[in-house]
Amino acid sequence: MTALPVVPDGRQNPQSRPRTDGWLGFWLTLPVLLLMVGLVFYPLVITLWDSFHRVDPLRPGQPFIGLTNYRNLLGDSDVKAAWSNTLWYVVLAVILETLGGLGVALLLNGVRRGRNWILAAVILPWALPPVVNAVIWKWIYNPSFGVLNSLLLRVSAISEPHVWFNDRATALILITLVHVWRMMPLTAVIVLAALQSIPAELHEAAGIDGASPWYAFRRITLPLLAGALTIALTQSTVFAFNLFDEAFVLTGSSLDTRPLLTQVYISAFQNLNFSYGMALSVLLMLASLLVSLFYILRITGGRSGD
Amino acid sequence: MVTETAARPRRSSRTWINVARLLGLGLVLLWSLGPVYVSLITSFTRPTDLTTSPAYLVPPAITFEHLAHLFGATSTVQGNTVQSVWPQFRQATLNSLITSIAATLLTALLATLAGYAFTRLRFPGRNLLFFLVISSLAIPAYTVMIPLYRMMISLHLVNTYLGITLIYASAFLPLALWLMRNFFASVPIELEEAAWLDGASRLRTLATIVLPLAAPGLVAVAILTFLSAWGQFIVPLVFSPSLATKPLTVLIPEFVTRNSVDYGLINAAGLIAMVPPVLVVIFLNRFLVRGLTAGAGK
Repeated sequence: MTALPVVPDGRQNPQSRPRTDGWLGFWLTLPVLLLMVGLVFYPLVITLWDSFHRVDPLRPGQPFIGLTNYRNLLGDSDVKAAWSNTLWYVVLAVILETLGGLGVALLLNGVRRGRNWILAAVILPWALPPVVNAVIWKWIYNPSFGVLNSLLLRVSAISEPHVWFNDRATALILITLVHVWRMMPLTAVIVLAALQSIPAELHEAAGIDGASPWYAFRRITLPLLAGALTIALTQSTVFAFNLFDEAFVLTGSSLDTRPLLTQVYISAFQNLNFSYGMALSVLLMLASLLVSLFYILRITGGRSGD
Repeated sequence: MVTETAARPRRSSRTWINVARLLGLGLVLLWSLGPVYVSLITSFTRPTDLTTSPAYLVPPAITFEHLAHLFGATSTVQGNTVQSVWPQFRQATLNSLITSIAATLLTALLATLAGYAFTRLRFPGRNLLFFLVISSLAIPAYTVMIPLYRMMISLHLVNTYLGITLIYASAFLPLALWLMRNFFASVPIELEEAAWLDGASRLRTLATIVLPLAAPGLVAVAILTFLSAWGQFIVPLVFSPSLATKPLTVLIPEFVTRNSVDYGLINAAGLIAMVPPVLVVIFLNRFLVRGLTAGAGK
């Protein structure tokens, strides 16, 4: 991920290359340049700049206030609660998606007939709009008429319907499950692609040498999956830091389950404290980048990924 | 003798592995499709059957009431004539389609042209520009959303198709560009050289020789972009405040708060929003998998 592959230019015969390449390249990339500078890089600079100012449409002027926004964020109890919720989402989602995705990929890798259909079923949750997923799960979790209570009552796991969002721990787990339902397919697909590129001879050789399946998995499969797992972990982490839709639909802005992104949304678009929200969004971006960087350095051991 | 005793437990353990594998696959399918099944049956279950406890796992009767409520001019729910949500629902469906298709076309076009330039043309600043665009993959949308909102207001682009489409394109372009460059790089350059010798221009070569070979990649880029745009929530929540551009993803959760009991209607609306992704997964899954894995690796 860090080392961009160098695209081989091939044997470039100077006589056969049209001479207007330079200008053509300029014109073909100009729209991309304008769009990205205008809608991504310029606003990013503004976000950084404004986070050191007081930008509030209800108060005149935009004075420089240094680190005041960041200092206030540290003392804000709502923000602290949101950090704690988001960290729970990240930890739970990353663990469940990685283990689940790895399991699904290993299962699918052993399937010979009908694999494409099973893969389609596995990918489906990822392809659906996250909001629609959340709406469906909200109905499944419904305390009076939901399928979750119905199933648990039928197998006598519980004796009376349970109100699921009454305590924070359960609510966090149930919201995470909806997120995992959507994101696990991505991990599964990435790991499956890596599994399929492992030569079968390696496992045959290990079998002949008398290695147990677990030993072969740990010493052969897992190291060869390191690159794919790094990518999957990074994606899971970034998406879990960005969790918004599921929590917003299932529990609104409830402080018990409010993730950081909802906190940014409330600060900026409901309380109209723009620069405060921007400062928080900068911290959120840095946190998710740092964790991603940690995986890349840790798993690839400082080597550039393959 | 030794080999015989060694082989027997291995064979029986293989049977167990197969049983475990089948069970595992069953669980995976139940986990992936179960919620979709619940939504499907809920959309066709009578309101009286929806408010029973424990809930039905198979509806005792089928009704088209919820769909009629969505699509009819007016409809009757439990004997009362109620105002239909059709005008809102139709507008939101149109908005979702228009913004997603526009974003897909714009992103695919820009990624194709620029992707080709980044792969094959030499011009000053090429690598720097490519690096900048790709590095923006690390910038989450929310970090730029607040200034973007103020910019869009001053440009009068809030609540317009153009504004939404441009934001989507800027968000999905980095990945699309990365994929297109990989796909173009896999087309052998010798084919292009032959066309140049025949006097074909760069753009002509791109259109007639390179693009047909990179078409599966272009399809992958298009469906990834379309699905991302179709599922967007927070961007339209901020940038599409009224029904003029509000998509299904923003309208459907509003059903939850307004008529909090009508889960039949909500699931029926959700079912309609699932149609395009389901079609993609059924008919274009290999392109989707190709895009997802190419986007992740290499």
